[in-house]
Amino acid sequence: MTTTSRRQLLQGAAAGTALLSMPSLTFAQSAGVFRIGALNPITGSGSTFGTGMLKAIQAAADVVNAAGGAGGVKFEVVSEDTQTSPPAGVLAAKKLLEVNKVQAVLGTWSSGVSLAVVPLTNDANVLLMNTSGAPALSVPPANAKGLSFRFQATNDRFGRAFAEVCVKEGFKRPATMAFNNASGIGNADGFKKAWEGKGNKVVAGVVYEPNQTSYRSELQKILDANPDVIVTGSYLQDTTILMREWYQSGIPVKWILPGWAGSPDLVKAVGAPVVEGVISVDSVSNVGAESYKLYDAAYQKAMGKPGSSNVYAAMTWDMVITLALAIEAAGKTDTDSIKSHIRTVANPPGDDVFSYAAGKAALKAGKKINYQGASSVLDFDEYGDVTPDFGVSFIEGGAINQKYVVKI
Amino acid sequence: MINFPQLIANGLVQGLFIAMAALAITLAFSIARFPNAATGDVMTAGAYTGLATQSATGSLILAGIVAILTGAVISLAADRLVFRKLAGRAVVASLVASIGVAFVIRAVLGVTFGLSQLVYDIPLTRAKLYWGVRLTPLDLQVAGAVALALALVFGILHLTPIGRQMRAVADDRDLARVSGVKPERVMVALWLISGGVAGLAGMMLGIKTVVEPELGWSMLLPAFTAAILGGIGSPGGAVAAGLLLGVVQEISTPFVGFNYKLVIAFAALLGVLLWRPSGLFGKREGVR
Repeated sequence: MTTTSRRQLLQGAAAGTALLSMPSLTFAQSAGVFRIGALNPITGSGSTFGTGMLKAIQAAADVVNAAGGAGGVKFEVVSEDTQTSPPAGVLAAKKLLEVNKVQAVLGTWSSGVSLAVVPLTNDANVLLMNTSGAPALSVPPANAKGLSFRFQATNDRFGRAFAEVCVKEGFKRPATMAFNNASGIGNADGFKKAWEGKGNKVVAGVVYEPNQTSYRSELQKILDANPDVIVTGSYLQDTTILMREWYQSGIPVKWILPGWAGSPDLVKAVGAPVVEGVISVDSVSNVGAESYKLYDAAYQKAMGKPGSSNVYAAMTWDMVITLALAIEAAGKTDTDSIKSHIRTVANPPGDDVFSYAAGKAALKAGKKINYQGASSVLDFDEYGDVTPDFGVSFIEGGAINQKYVVKI
Repeated sequence: MINFPQLIANGLVQGLFIAMAALAITLAFSIARFPNAATGDVMTAGAYTGLATQSATGSLILAGIVAILTGAVISLAADRLVFRKLAGRAVVASLVASIGVAFVIRAVLGVTFGLSQLVYDIPLTRAKLYWGVRLTPLDLQVAGAVALALALVFGILHLTPIGRQMRAVADDRDLARVSGVKPERVMVALWLISGGVAGLAGMMLGIKTVVEPELGWSMLLPAFTAAILGGIGSPGGAVAAGLLLGVVQEISTPFVGFNYKLVIAFAALLGVLLWRPSGLFGKREGVR
C-alpha cells in the first residue's frame, strides 16, 4: 500500500541529519557551566528598558567569568523576549527551563509576566529574580518556596513613598485613582495604608477599567470630593487620557504619579503646559556607591548611554553579581544552597563589598560580606523584597527635574 | 449629589464611538452575512493614517478623508483577497478568517508605526458649561462629525439607487438577484461604506484617546454588543444601541462603581435579548 518514494527518503534522511546536528539539546547540562535565563521585555511596553536589562546581565556575567567564575563554574547567558505579555513570557520561560535547562531566570519586568512565570520556576525549582511591583509576588502561592527575589520596590513601598511626599509637600486632602490590576491597586492601597497610618484621611478613591475611551465620570467623582492632590497607580496610556480630561475640566489640583507613567513620553503626549508641576516618583539607583560606578561604566560601554537612563538595568546587573556571590559562598550550584546564601552575601552584618572580585576575595578569606548593589543597598527581607530609595521629580517646563530623595 | 445630566452626556459621548463601530459591523453583516472581526483593526488603520496625514499637512479634514479612504480600501482588499473566496461556506470560516485579517493589519501597523503610543496634535481646550453639563468643544465636534457621517450613510442607503439595491440584497438576496440587482456592485459599495465608516470611527477614537496598535481591537466587544442589541443587520438599531450602551454604563456607576459598569452593559444586553430575541430593532425593521 505504501511505497517510499525517493523524495520521501531524502526528506527523512535530511530530518535525521538535522536532529543529529543538535547535540546541545540533549546535553544541556554540561559540567562547569551555570546557565542563566535572561527573560526581559525586549519588545512591548517594556521595550524602553528590556535591551539594556539584557546587556547588563551579559556584562555582569562577563565580569564574573573574568574573575574566575563563581564556586568553580562559569556563567552562560541564554536570552528570551517576554514581549511584555504574560502568554509570550510563559512560552519563553518554558523554553528556557525545558530546552536550555537554565538554573536561574533573571529580569522579568512587568508584574503580569512575573506572576505568570513564577509557577513555572517554582515547579522547576529554579530562582526567579524580577523587577516587578505587585504585592502578590511576596507571599504564597507566588512565593511559596521563597525562590522569588525582587530587586524593585513593591507597589506597597511606592505607596509609602507617595505618603512621605504628601507629608513633605503639605498636602491635606489626597484622593487616589488606580488602574484595575495588581500593580495599580497595590500603589493606591499602599498609599492609603501609609497615609491613614499617620492618622490622616483619603478623601476619595476610584479603581478604573483599562481601555476606556474616557475617564471623565471617574475623574468627576474624585474632583467632587475636592482633593488637593490626586495620587495614582496608573500607566502611560490611561494617564495621557486622564491628564487631558483633567486639564479640560479646568479644576486645579496637584498630581503624584509613579515614574513609569510620569515620564518624558507623557510630557510629549499631552504637552508641557498640561503637566506643569506634576510630581513623578520613582525608585532611584544607589548612585553614590562604588558598585553603581562599575555598573554605569559597563552600561555606557554596552549601550552608549548613561546608566541612569535605565534603573532596571542596574537591578539586573545586581541580580547576576548577587547570584554569583551566593554561589561562591555556598560552594554549590543547587537551587536550595544558592537560595539560602543570597541573604548571607547581600544583607548585614558583614563587610560592605561593591564588586564581585572584592566579594569573592573576602569570601575566600573567610569573611562575612554585605553586597551593596548598584540599584539599592540590596537587603532582602523575609519575603525576598528590597527597599530602595525614591527620587521625587517635578515636571517643570516639560523637563522632569529630580528635587529630593525620600527614604522609607 | 449625583449629577445625572453630566453622566448622561458622558455616556452619549462614549456611546458615539461604540455606535460608529457597531454601524460598520452591522452593515457588513447585513450583506456579507458574517461578523467581521477585522472591523476593529480597520479602525486602527484609519487612526494611524489620519494621524500621519494630520502631522504632515496639519489639516484634520484631509486626515478624515484619508482615514475614510484607508478603511474603504483595506476592507475592499480584504474582501477581494479573503472573504470572497469563503463566500458560501459556514459563517464561522469567514469569522475566523476575519480574525486572521485583523492580525495581519495590526502587525503591518506595528511594524510601520511602532508599538509606542502616538497622539493627535490638537490644542486642548477647557470645557464649557451648557445647562449645568460640562462639555468640551472637541466633544461637540466629534458628535457633529459622527452625525454627519450617519446622515451620509443613511442618505446613501435610502436615497440612492445603489442604496436601494443594497437594502434589497440585505432583505432577500435571491429575490434581489432575479429582479436584476448585480450582487458584485452591491458588495463593492458595501465594503467601501463599511470600511469608510470604520476608518473615520478609528480616527475619531484616536483623537479622543491615544493611537496604539490595540486601539480598535479593544473596541470590538462593545461594538459587537451594540450590533447585536440593535438587531443585527439594522443600521439605525446599531447606532441607537451604541448610544444606549454608553449611557447605561455611565448612569450605573453611582450604584455599582466603575469596575462593574461593563457588567451592567451586558446585563442590559441579556435583558433585551430575553425580551426581544431579535434585538431592539429586530429583523422586520432591518435594512430594507
